[in-house]
Amino acid sequence: MSVVGECLVAFVFGSVVGLLVQRSRFCNTAALRDAMLFKSYRNTKALLVAMMILSIGFPLFMTFGEGHPLRFDVGLNTVLGLFLFGVGMVLAGACTVSTWVKAGEGNVGAVWALIFTFIGMFLFSLVWSWNYWPPAPASMTGQPNLEALQLGFANAQTLQETFKIPAVVFGLVQAAVLYAIYRAIRRKEEAQQIKHDRIAASHRQPVAAE
Amino acid sequence: MEFFKKTLDPIVALAAIAVLDLFLFLIVGSWTVGGGETMMTGLLAKIFLGEEIARIPFWNLVFVPDAGYWKIYISLGMFFGAFMGAVISKEFYLRFPRRLSEWVLITIGGLLMGVGIRLAFVCNVSTFFGLTPELNLGGYLAISGILAGAWVGSMIYKKMLEG
Repeated sequence: MSVVGECLVAFVFGSVVGLLVQRSRFCNTAALRDAMLFKSYRNTKALLVAMMILSIGFPLFMTFGEGHPLRFDVGLNTVLGLFLFGVGMVLAGACTVSTWVKAGEGNVGAVWALIFTFIGMFLFSLVWSWNYWPPAPASMTGQPNLEALQLGFANAQTLQETFKIPAVVFGLVQAAVLYAIYRAIRRKEEAQQIKHDRIAASHRQPVAAE
Repeated sequence: MEFFKKTLDPIVALAAIAVLDLFLFLIVGSWTVGGGETMMTGLLAKIFLGEEIARIPFWNLVFVPDAGYWKIYISLGMFFGAFMGAVISKEFYLRFPRRLSEWVLITIGGLLMGVGIRLAFVCNVSTFFGLTPELNLGGYLAISGILAGAWVGSMIYKKMLEG
């Protein structure tokens, strides 16, 4: 596909996603933060449903060698980087998606977060240019490289090649695990609801007695 | 239209996004945001620094500024889509963080997100909607990192709420 075509497809995809996220108030940060702080799971459940669909879909395509999976080595930098990101997104109150969506709704704080995300990336580019870690994609080998704290590369396709089992089988297993988490959350919510109803009922009684 | 009056169930929205992401995966690659943002940073740096940017090897070896990078347009699309949605449903208005402490938190949070994305090579979107569903080992590493980070962030947030 031509460069213009790719950019056009990406823009259309982004627009629909922006619209859906704006209308549903979905937030990835809230999906994690609210579950941890407030035991509220509205966004967490939505995130799990999307991941279940993708965990079956991506490996299904990859079984037949279709699609464009991400290709780069992972390692300690992946854990560290996402740790910093996790702290940052809760402090900023928005992740990468919601900064763009909230900026589109006229939220100046989100625009500010975006500006500083760019500045953070630029600062990192300076640090990287000094120590060259983590390794650049061009010098990645796909193999564990303990000196550079890299674990190499593995995904549904490499699993299929190694174990001679279709990639989609692994995907189905992951989807089942995600579904189990989803079920557990639903049960927890039902228990919360029963408790809530009981408290509400006990508060109503004195009013009725008056 | 009803769609612009009521809040959409996030499960419906995310299921629709997941199906679209499957198509995007077949055409160019899964949904991601961090890569596009990095490219925008590079393009902006090039505007401000001009030829000086050649002195920062990162912009030659890891990301060569290129306006034809498709991931940029996902972000611009999200901004546009959200803007249209907000305008049509009459939810668009300028909102400013009220207190100085909010500005400070957003500044620190933004910086941490920027550094974190580049250090990890992935953002939260690639983690949940790309790497993990592709059963990439990095997905599990990234999720453990982001959960730990979100927990620490939540504890700081809680302290601030109480204090």
